[in-house]
Amino acid sequence: MNFIKNLMQNLVRGPSTVSYPFGPAWTPDKFRGRVAFKLASCTGCRACEQVCAPGAIRFDKTPEGLRFMMWHNSCVFCGLCEHYCPTDAIQQTTDWHLAHAVEDEFTMAIREVIAYVNCSACGAKTLSSAPNPVGVNPPFSAEEIEQQRNLCPGCRKKALAERGATS
Amino acid sequence: MSNFTIPVGPLHVALEEPMYFRIDVSGETVAHVDIHAGHVHRGIEYLATKRNIFQNIVLTERICSLCSNSHPQAYAMAIEQIAGLVVPPRAEYLRVIADEIKRVASNLFNVSVLAHLVGFESLFMHVMEVREMMQDVKETVFGNRMDIGANIVGGVRYDIDGEGAAYLRAQLDRLAPAVAEITALYRTNGSILGRTRGIGVLTRADAVDCSVVGPVARACGIDYDVRTKAPYAAYDRLEVPVHTLADGDVWSRAMIRLAEAATAIDLIRQCLDQLPDGPISCTSERPPIPPGEAIAKCEAPRGELIYYVRTIDSPRPERVKWRVPSFMNWDALRFMLKGAKIADIAIIVNSIDPCISCTER
Repeated sequence: MNFIKNLMQNLVRGPSTVSYPFGPAWTPDKFRGRVAFKLASCTGCRACEQVCAPGAIRFDKTPEGLRFMMWHNSCVFCGLCEHYCPTDAIQQTTDWHLAHAVEDEFTMAIREVIAYVNCSACGAKTLSSAPNPVGVNPPFSAEEIEQQRNLCPGCRKKALAERGATS
Repeated sequence: MSNFTIPVGPLHVALEEPMYFRIDVSGETVAHVDIHAGHVHRGIEYLATKRNIFQNIVLTERICSLCSNSHPQAYAMAIEQIAGLVVPPRAEYLRVIADEIKRVASNLFNVSVLAHLVGFESLFMHVMEVREMMQDVKETVFGNRMDIGANIVGGVRYDIDGEGAAYLRAQLDRLAPAVAEITALYRTNGSILGRTRGIGVLTRADAVDCSVVGPVARACGIDYDVRTKAPYAAYDRLEVPVHTLADGDVWSRAMIRLAEAATAIDLIRQCLDQLPDGPISCTSERPPIPPGEAIAKCEAPRGELIYYVRTIDSPRPERVKWRVPSFMNWDALRFMLKGAKIADIAIIVNSIDPCISCTER
């Protein structure tokens, strides 16, 4: 290796390191960072909970409904939840700024509740979750998703059967 | 001449990985080596039986950072065998790309640490800077610098579009001449040659006795590479040259690693040229896994990695067992270190590219 050549190149190019935190740090678009959750798209299928290796995602039942909990400090950023989510309700963002004060430890979480409602057809108590799109052809329209959201599982099945073209 | 027993490790032997050697020296020469293990045993094999089959993809990826693609790949191959899943051709090529990207980064890392141990710090930094190109590729294509998360049961979960392929090619075009330059330097530089040629020699007979694998075996003239002996993924459709050298010293092992990094760049290019269209996974959901058992093996950057998985009628596997390349290569250290000088111990230990976190899991 020609060291003079290398030295000149390095002088021209400047430092290889970035000046973070005094300057911006490069983050690619596909970076697997902090998890974001979209309650309106969640079907409550709990696939994310089952594939989450560190157990960062938990569901539990509260009087108000089915609660989704996700602890950022337990997350290993593997992205399996995003991969197996049928509706993209869970997605990884490019945000990697997760440093926080110790007293904020218990607020470093997502807690959202899929509320109980009464079925708009039969009146039974049910979860107002988004319908599962797997195998539904043609796919749900936005209005259909809102209609299905307020139906109990039995009435959803009935509505799907009336709709015709299902899997 | 006086005899001493000196401890080397468990901290800060070459790779800052915990490996403890009790070395009997006669003057400055190593007379006998005792290797003690167990400092980073984390019980991952047991833990794997407490996680379900899909969670274990993530767990196996985190056994070791440098071969973090080979573990989930071998594990996924074993599960696919049990479930009879057929990986689509595009996914097979994408698996090779992920594997080879990790191989380039891993091999360059080891070679750079060799320069550091020789005392050639500017070369160490130069090689690490070259390796950084591959780290950028991993971050851009997969979203993480080490745990790239390419594999799932039934295929892969990343895809390369036209823009991604162009970026990857551009990075490879920058990387290939840099690797060639580094290879020429390691071949000719006096400081490197003086500290590595004829050091830590492992004869072919000893290599066979220890059943060493990977670059350590190929540097002793043993022509063994899983990618050609038992092709998996898309390797049967690719041109995979196997590099061997006869001397079995530290220098040969470094040269094999550099040659394999260059080959890996070529393999990624071949994959990008041949990349077929189609799905990247045989199913978008979690496939049912029946009871059964299977063995799968792949060529990790350090050599042959074997996975054994037994599933029962349960979401969790009953047994997951793996044999890592460092296990056999580690044993060969006793032969390499015999008669070595104290100053060469770290260089010789580094030359097998020890991965303690894989071996002790």
